[in-house]
Amino acid sequence: MTIGIPRALIYWKQPHFWETFFENLGFKVLLSPSTNKEIVEMGVKVADPETCFSNKVYWGHLLWLDEKCDLIFVPRLKANKEKLEYCPKFFGLPDLAKILVKTPILTETFDERKEKFEKTLERLGKKLKTTTLPPPTKEEIKKAAKIASLKDYNPPATLPAEGWAPKERQDFFKKIQTKKPKIILISHPYNLYDDYVNLRIKEKLEKLGAEAIFVDEIPISVNQRTNQRESAVSIKFHWEFGKEIMEKIREILDMSKFRNFELAGAIEISSFACGCDAVIKEFVEKEFKQNKIPFLYLMIDEQTGEAGIQTRLEAFMDTI
Amino acid sequence: MKPIITFARWGNYTIAFKTLFEQLGLEVIPPEKTNSQTIAEGAKIAPEMYCFPMKVTLGNYLPALKKGANTIFMVQNVGGSCRQRYYGVIQEKVLKEAGHNINFLDFRATPKDIYSAIKKISNASFWQIIKAGRFFFKKLRLIEKMEKMAQYYRPREIEKRMTDKILTEGLSKLEELKKEKDFPKLKREILKRLSEIKIEVNKDLPKVGLIGEIYTVCDPSINFEVESKLGKEGIEVHREMDITYHLKKLILPWKDWIIQRKINPYLRSTVGGHGRDAIYEMLHYIKEDFDGVIHLLPFGCMPEITVRPILEKIHQESGIPFLSLSLDEQTAEAGIDTRLEAFIDVVKNYHKNKKL
Repeated sequence: MTIGIPRALIYWKQPHFWETFFENLGFKVLLSPSTNKEIVEMGVKVADPETCFSNKVYWGHLLWLDEKCDLIFVPRLKANKEKLEYCPKFFGLPDLAKILVKTPILTETFDERKEKFEKTLERLGKKLKTTTLPPPTKEEIKKAAKIASLKDYNPPATLPAEGWAPKERQDFFKKIQTKKPKIILISHPYNLYDDYVNLRIKEKLEKLGAEAIFVDEIPISVNQRTNQRESAVSIKFHWEFGKEIMEKIREILDMSKFRNFELAGAIEISSFACGCDAVIKEFVEKEFKQNKIPFLYLMIDEQTGEAGIQTRLEAFMDTI
Repeated sequence: MKPIITFARWGNYTIAFKTLFEQLGLEVIPPEKTNSQTIAEGAKIAPEMYCFPMKVTLGNYLPALKKGANTIFMVQNVGGSCRQRYYGVIQEKVLKEAGHNINFLDFRATPKDIYSAIKKISNASFWQIIKAGRFFFKKLRLIEKMEKMAQYYRPREIEKRMTDKILTEGLSKLEELKKEKDFPKLKREILKRLSEIKIEVNKDLPKVGLIGEIYTVCDPSINFEVESKLGKEGIEVHREMDITYHLKKLILPWKDWIIQRKINPYLRSTVGGHGRDAIYEMLHYIKEDFDGVIHLLPFGCMPEITVRPILEKIHQESGIPFLSLSLDEQTAEAGIDTRLEAFIDVVKNYHKNKKL
């Protein structure tokens, strides 16, 4: 039995976790290819015109997988370990996917306010019954989840190579020591790591002579200085990404003071019509403005042209 | 600094909120009525991609602030997972950046928090708060009842525009009413005048249900008076969404559970706001043999956008006419009118063909 996984949106929250997990339970995994023009076009055609660009891309990936596999895995992510919520648009994904594709959808609700992640995995495992094989046992699921969450796990040859290690963590501390102007890129993982969606912004910045730092590369220090630090922007998000982004920004601003390096600028990338970004942007911008760091807000959608982004990046690089 | 209160405007219910604050002994400057100018002013200082109700309420504060108001009341967390819970923080930030020196009271929508927020600002006694709350609910229920009656009378009235005239008069009288002991008399008078409207009884009318986001559905100045326009074209409009409906859901938690059970084939989770309710209401209207459903939402409203494909699927399965209108500061009345006119024709045809 083949399980299809769309390589978009929620996939980037835990890249390679799901394919490794299913692979280790003895299923074949079909990962949709990296986002390309056809996928985006397919998605835009079927999506509600007002939904966010990232969702439209996700529909494209779903349609690509449709009828190529036996099941498509669309988890319903509701809350994480810290009891913080995901984007409300994720809540309805499996139901909307059911309307869109003919292939049956494999889904389970991940709400760690109510149930531990491992427990939910067990329930998911029970749904994996095939005509020939019994559902995987508890131990098998535990083992598969453990292997999947290992960071240095070597992918088996059966998985497409290009799906692997996009999140390869370059040494963050090496990055901040370079002489090049350092620019921090702020966005959701599904915008940062999807090169088609963000129009290869990292490559473009590097060509312009800058060092791009992704916001989620910033390590959060153990002694939690962030809690003690008096921040001018006091807001508590109930969104996991909101909290993470704000924490990491404060962390790097702190770090730039006591490690003595300078942040040249900050760029926030946002998908068009993303509701959560409309809130987060206000506070991110304020944080940088207070520290007198130039801030650029880029909106991406299916009509964004490469030339337009290039011009804006060049202009931004000239100001810093 | 003596607090002078203003608050978020919400359609006809503004009257009830104004009374609530006045009864607590607070000085109130009610927010400006929504018009194209307040909307433009609000949208100018609000974040571009934020949802429409936030821009509208922001625009309504500004003239009141100019007149001297210095304290703003805002409830957060009305919509569960949706962006409504950040209205207060964002509005406070935006207004302070625009140079307004204000005190922003942003509290959670639980009875305890509301009580302590009110207590802090007004120094009113417990008994006074209870009394103010009681008067507030009386007014609120009457406004909702008047709206419901108007929905019934509008398509049947013989003398055109009579219902709207009486409704507006009644609302302004209700706004002026200051003493609770005069309330029963006014209530009788308003209800009597409404029920004296000459109507054609036994008229076979097409029925349309109004679903969607609570703010846009309830505020006639935002939705370009959809209810009244449909009524005048001889269509009976039904709408479940109002403040009482919302409060009932807050107080009676099993309501959510019942709704969830009814919509299980379509959506198995909350999506924030009133996303689930939209599906539930649409299914309900189909069961009640309605002739059309209008879905109203602010542009980019996260819950309503999520459920819209589901509503469209229900529409395709059942064949009921369906129109989804998303509203924002760039929506023009003429555009909405054209779409409504076309939709009215579809509804009337559907109603006629159903009987054949």
